[in-house]
Amino acid sequence: MSGTLIELPSVERKLGKTMVTLIKDDLTALPVDGFVFYAREDLALGSGYGNAIQQRGGAAVKKELDAIGSVGMGEAVITTAGAMKARYIIHACGPKFHEPDLEAKLRRTMRSALELADRHDLKTVAFPPMGYGFYGVPLDLCATVMLEEIAAVLEDRTTSLEKIIICVTDKREYDAWKDRVAQFFG
Amino acid sequence: MARERSWRAQKVIERLEQKVNRQVLLSLAACVHCGMCTEQCHYVLANPDDPTYAPAYKADKLRKLFKAHIDWTGRAFPWWVGARSVYTDEELEDLKDTVFGKCTNCRRCSFNCPMGVDMATFNRLARGLLVHVGIMPEGVATVAKDQWEIGNQMGVLKEDYLETVEWMEEELQDEFDDPNIKIPIDKKGAELVYTINPREAKYDPRTIAEAAAIFHFAGENWTMVSEGWDMTNFGLFNGDDELGGACARRVYDAARTIGAKRIVISECGHGYRSTRCEGPNWSKTDLPDIEMESSIITMLRYIKEGRIQVDKSKNSIPVTYHDSCNMARSCGMTEEPRELLRLVCSDFREMYPNRQQNFCCTGGGGAMSMAEYAPRRLKSAKIKAEQLRATGAKIVITSCHNCVDGLTDLIKHYQLDMEVKQLVDMVYNALVVPKPAPKVEVPVAVAPGEIPAKALAGYKVLVIDDEPDVRTYLRVIFKDKGAEVLEAPDANQGWRQIRDQKPDLVTLDLVMPHKTGEKLYWELRKDEKYKNLPIVIITGYGKTDKPTVRFHEFIAEKGIPEPNAFLEKPIDPDKVIETAIQVLGTRIPSDQIQ
Repeated sequence: MSGTLIELPSVERKLGKTMVTLIKDDLTALPVDGFVFYAREDLALGSGYGNAIQQRGGAAVKKELDAIGSVGMGEAVITTAGAMKARYIIHACGPKFHEPDLEAKLRRTMRSALELADRHDLKTVAFPPMGYGFYGVPLDLCATVMLEEIAAVLEDRTTSLEKIIICVTDKREYDAWKDRVAQFFG
Repeated sequence: MARERSWRAQKVIERLEQKVNRQVLLSLAACVHCGMCTEQCHYVLANPDDPTYAPAYKADKLRKLFKAHIDWTGRAFPWWVGARSVYTDEELEDLKDTVFGKCTNCRRCSFNCPMGVDMATFNRLARGLLVHVGIMPEGVATVAKDQWEIGNQMGVLKEDYLETVEWMEEELQDEFDDPNIKIPIDKKGAELVYTINPREAKYDPRTIAEAAAIFHFAGENWTMVSEGWDMTNFGLFNGDDELGGACARRVYDAARTIGAKRIVISECGHGYRSTRCEGPNWSKTDLPDIEMESSIITMLRYIKEGRIQVDKSKNSIPVTYHDSCNMARSCGMTEEPRELLRLVCSDFREMYPNRQQNFCCTGGGGAMSMAEYAPRRLKSAKIKAEQLRATGAKIVITSCHNCVDGLTDLIKHYQLDMEVKQLVDMVYNALVVPKPAPKVEVPVAVAPGEIPAKALAGYKVLVIDDEPDVRTYLRVIFKDKGAEVLEAPDANQGWRQIRDQKPDLVTLDLVMPHKTGEKLYWELRKDEKYKNLPIVIITGYGKTDKPTVRFHEFIAEKGIPEPNAFLEKPIDPDKVIETAIQVLGTRIPSDQIQ
């Protein structure tokens, strides 16, 4: 595969022993311990990242999800990542399409995903902008909640997480996140 | 007591108040219900007794909401002006059925409205209100999510896209026997970035190769890009301006990174409109140093400047042109495609009505992604089918990938004897390029795995099959071995090609619309001139079918000889080539017959 056309420097900030990093890349192609998939309650993978998981990961992921069945709002479940470069996928079910109690649900989802990653001793975990894009979570709210919850989890406990990656898809998203990450962590 | 409202209905109302602008407000306020729009809509023409298809009726669904919550007349005299709010998710589902399932945003009604009501603009707005709260057809959700997260609307992964482009480069090098023909990727400093519809990468890569050949022979300094290559934009269809901006920015950012002076947009109506016309607004981007143009303009310029030579006698089959709604009505591009067509086709027949008054292909506005409305869509295509049939053309050309799919579907449904192509196909076919003389090797029977590289050089093979994927696959297989390949999507066009092009070998599918392969086979075998034409049957059947038995019963009943070979799908490329070599035997290639 050819390299990346639009190369953007990662933005990195250390919080305790954990590095929080913003990158522009392909979430489902990252060589990480785990990445987070913004899941539906019925755990159907669908299109978008779900499509990439099926194409790159093979049938194994869906099989595991079928066995699990469903996930509650704000909760997360974990599967292997099939043939992908990542080892695990954390399927975190967050709020969608401006539903009521959006912020509280998003916080719970973020917290569940981070805690599940920690419980499985993952060292590197990558997040998409949670709920932003197709599911309509406003970018400001998404960034605020994600960064605050990451900070809260890292302050609350000793964690296995050495690196938390926020992986955006394009330069537009990167530009919007860059200053927010820098400002939040100082 | 105030009636309870669902959260979705509440959010729709709040969103409406944010999204209404001057253009929408005028259109919502200006309708006088004169009915001039009614007869302009292809849905109405197919459903004359159903008033719910009338543009004014459809528009009233949103207008009632506007009156109830924004317009002062609705607040003062709601009963008088028909103001009506929404309360339940069921009412929103009903609105979805109208704005997604009964309108393709084609704007034909707008062009014939004496008050200038722009139905498509506020129908798009209504779609956006529903998408905001997650109410949309499943197919719309699928495509939008792919475009948000994968970066293109068909979810083509980067590795697959790059592999396809590389494959097309190899095809071109092989076809022109020239290793210098390249499809550059991410070439910094290229003057021109060529952007495509992901449908090309996924289903019809032939158009990528054709465009690449045109750029090559024009001596263009060009490139494709590994990201931001999808110029389509589902934000136009689902009313999501933020998605619209995201898609457009990806294209612009890629071109800026290359340092290109020009973005060329392949033939796609909504992609052209989104990237060139709407994208800068949605994405809040200024592009003072980059021009954007349709590939129609690029190809036309190359011919006018003498950078490529064309011979229109190579396209002698009667053609007509279908104006895409976004190209013609929304972007005013009506004359350039015709000028180009007349330069590369010798028998162009106008369709009536045409240009801004043309009827929609019925696949516009994202309709091809909404499977639940397919029967409704095909019923509404009756007027389009009549338009096409009246031209007498055998090929309908269009500059839009949605139109390609919409027209292909309706041609099959209404059993029209024609196929769909794009301008790039015609320009490519008319190209005059110095070709090196093929090195002819006499084919001999060989063991599998030992087939010479150009074993079929000099031979002309006609592939008759109604499945475009199968034709493409067989074309690639035969071209790899040096053959010139002709294609026909049905038996009638196959007959014509046999008469006009005199192929050395025909591969024939049996199950096809209009006329079956069996019938064509029978006609050929009883024709004195073609009774010895080498024919290989390549057909697909289910496991429970007995294809050999059925076909053999047919030819026994008709008293005609066996075909030269009989192959079943799925196609084994080695088997196809071995069979072709055996069938052709020592037959002299057609290009050596004086």
